[in-house]
Amino acid sequence: MRNLRFRKTPLRLVLLASFAGLPLTLAVGHEGHHVECNETAINALKADIQAMGNGEARTTASKEVEAAQQMMAKNDIGGCKSHIHSAMEATEK
Amino acid sequence: MARWSAGRRWWLVIGSLLLLVIATTVAIYVGLYNIAADVPHTQPVYWLLETLRGRSVATRSREIVVPNDLNDPNRISKGAGEYAEMCSGCHLAPGMERTEISRGLYPRAPELRRKTDLTPAEQFWIVKHGVKMTGMPAWGVTHNDELLWDVVAFVRKLPELTPEQYESLVKNAPKHEELMKEMETGDHRQDGDHQRQ
Repeated sequence: MRNLRFRKTPLRLVLLASFAGLPLTLAVGHEGHHVECNETAINALKADIQAMGNGEARTTASKEVEAAQQMMAKNDIGGCKSHIHSAMEATEK
Repeated sequence: MARWSAGRRWWLVIGSLLLLVIATTVAIYVGLYNIAADVPHTQPVYWLLETLRGRSVATRSREIVVPNDLNDPNRISKGAGEYAEMCSGCHLAPGMERTEISRGLYPRAPELRRKTDLTPAEQFWIVKHGVKMTGMPAWGVTHNDELLWDVVAFVRKLPELTPEQYESLVKNAPKHEELMKEMETGDHRQDGDHQRQ
């Protein structure tokens, strides 16, 4: 009996390690939808906007990116993220 | 005196042009222009390349004869399978989230679920010959014209499809491997030379 318990220990350790790493795995998986306020995110949005046809969505996205850049220059990261999010929504229309 | 002024003006023009050529050459050789795909072109450069691409495709696709059966459900079905296999990773599809490759490509691959101004002939030309410096491959190297017209037929239909209709079409489409095998053995119909090369 004691021997059996000992034999199961590595399996338990593997399961424990797997569950311990789960939140980290989920966090990495969710990163694709995470809004960042940096030069790369703004450039990616500018590239998206270039590919859009003329119209209301393009105008909105451009204005939002411009506002995000201004917020970034002022170090207002929250405001910047909010404008980036709005710009992303406009590019998806 | 007037003749001397005209001569000087010519030298000024030639000198300016020469200076421009030298400045451009130096800028190219010192690597001044950032070619990274995560930094977009300036608007004038983007416009220039976009116009160059549009005019080139329009001119070269002028002679292409479009088959009159692009609405044939059989063609559309074959095209659906090919599209899912070859195109959806970059050009996406109804109900599909943006992929990693579509997010990183520059210029962005157009999302084909949106309506396009391109004619069927222009779409065929792009699919067959690809587009330099965009990531769009020349599928004509490995596929015959009939298979490529199937893809064009499907792409014309794509903006009308709901995510469910897209899924169903792809699910019931002939498999890519089967179509390629048919093409290699010559079983895939070759019922018309639709284009003057």
